[in-house]
Amino acid sequence: MSASTMEAALLLAGVLFMLGLISVLIRRNIIFMLISVEIMLNAAGLAFIVAGSRWVQPDGQVMFIFILTMAAAEVSVGLALILQIYHQLKTLDSDAASFMKG
Amino acid sequence: MTQIDFLHLMPLIILTLAALLNMLVVAAWRNHKIIYVITAVSFVAAFLSLFELRGITAHAIEPLFVIDGFGVFYIGLILATALVISMLSYAYFEQREEQKEEYYILLILSTLGACTLVISTHFASLFLGLEVLSVALYTLISYLRTRERSDEAGIKYLILAAFSSAFLLFGMALVYYSTGTMTFAGIATAIADLQELPLLLLTGFGMMIIGIGFKLSVVPFHMWTPDVYEGAPAPVTAFIATVSKGGVLGLLIRFFMEVDGFRYPTLITIFSIVAIASMIAGNLLALLQTNVKRILAYSSISHLGYLMVAFLAGNRLGVEAVTFYLVAYFITTVGAFGVVAMLSDTERDAELLEDYRGLLWRRPWTATAFTAMLLSLAGIPLTAGFVGKFYVLAAGVNTQLWLLVAMLVLNSVVGLYYYIKVVAVMFQQPEAEAEPRPRLRPSIYLASVGTLAVLTLLLVLVGVYPAALVEVIQQVFASAPVMAGR
Repeated sequence: MSASTMEAALLLAGVLFMLGLISVLIRRNIIFMLISVEIMLNAAGLAFIVAGSRWVQPDGQVMFIFILTMAAAEVSVGLALILQIYHQLKTLDSDAASFMKG
Repeated sequence: MTQIDFLHLMPLIILTLAALLNMLVVAAWRNHKIIYVITAVSFVAAFLSLFELRGITAHAIEPLFVIDGFGVFYIGLILATALVISMLSYAYFEQREEQKEEYYILLILSTLGACTLVISTHFASLFLGLEVLSVALYTLISYLRTRERSDEAGIKYLILAAFSSAFLLFGMALVYYSTGTMTFAGIATAIADLQELPLLLLTGFGMMIIGIGFKLSVVPFHMWTPDVYEGAPAPVTAFIATVSKGGVLGLLIRFFMEVDGFRYPTLITIFSIVAIASMIAGNLLALLQTNVKRILAYSSISHLGYLMVAFLAGNRLGVEAVTFYLVAYFITTVGAFGVVAMLSDTERDAELLEDYRGLLWRRPWTATAFTAMLLSLAGIPLTAGFVGKFYVLAAGVNTQLWLLVAMLVLNSVVGLYYYIKVVAVMFQQPEAEAEPRPRLRPSIYLASVGTLAVLTLLLVLVGVYPAALVEVIQQVFASAPVMAGR
């Protein structure tokens, strides 16, 4: 790949990351917040693949596989917690799940 | 991998095997005591295996790990703390209804993650260690899942930790994109000739600092701390405050020393602002709290600020000061949360200031231990906290960080107020005779009292005779190549 394609790909990763970031901050539904965090993580994964292909090394893709594995583990724990919260509160609004203040 | 590599990784291997063994035993036969014994034995065995490595020169397992004196000392500290926390957990969970066996599997796994962090020299091992630590922590925090607060704390920590991991990963990707390597040493050579950091690299380092800052809960990345501290079970709170933060701090020191980040004024400015903001915000917000767990949460934020002062000194004395302070902070924090765990009943944790009113008259020894812990956190002479703070001040003065040193002294005075407030509440004469709480079974009660007594003794011992600990720290750091020439 040429240098300009690399930069474009890195820019794409950056835009995806920002989209995820903004959506974590404005969404109030916990499931959507989890999805947005996933988008951020995958954007980081994409950046790793771009970096790996810039230096023609497999390391970037190895890191991507690590990120995928970690994200899967995280989502499974997260969904279990969300189920538990839904059982107790009957809502997934993150403002409702806020007993602790100060 | 050769035999010698396996020998050096023995603590990690023992922990991994213990987690697997616990899982098999839980499947076959649920018994709290047996699982607990396996856990405690594995921590002790892993700790003892470190003595095999004593006096060695640094051994690198390319490219992921290096086992040097620095790493060995931090692993030892983490393992000892985890052992004490598991003792406190046993008494805490014994009186609860929930299934308590899986707790120990998660405790071992998160300890394993912290141990991996402090010896990693590569982004891949850094990431793996951090995630093993965090994913196990999500579950630990929300372990008492029938409590609404526990679940809330769990999901808050999960979202924010994943959020900060994304920042860390993106930062690592940018650094990799600019330098073409993911080993710390490789990055150091790649940027050695640069006078100023290029924008892309600076963004990368900045995003990594955000990610690390969340895990260390320094201001402005501290929002999750009080809520998670309040919602998590007391022993888990002790674990987050000590092992999790200590592991990440160890990693930060290694990375910064290796890359020599102290050459870049931008990074120093960022860290100075973070340190000052943490000290001020942590102490001022702690003044407003009436919940003991939240007071301790904000106090831990300010303590991380103090640690940053020594870290910013950036020389050998600074790292020694950080390590000494960390030992003192571990002892006191685990002790303080140990008292909270001990006073908790089956319904909820003893977290309100009201729960401590007149404690001295009801349980004189517990109150004495708690007073000692709080005074050490405040930095009163004859406690470990005082010597630690003195050491940090010495490191700061030595490198002429006058602003940071002045803020540290000023904030210690503010901090004194809210620690003394808790002590004063404990010393108040109770108005009416409170109905006696049902006691635990005597043997369990003795276990946690014994743990607290040992911690209090250690606290005073380190405070009165710090030379022994200082000597150990200097000795083990002699074999760390990272410290060479500093």
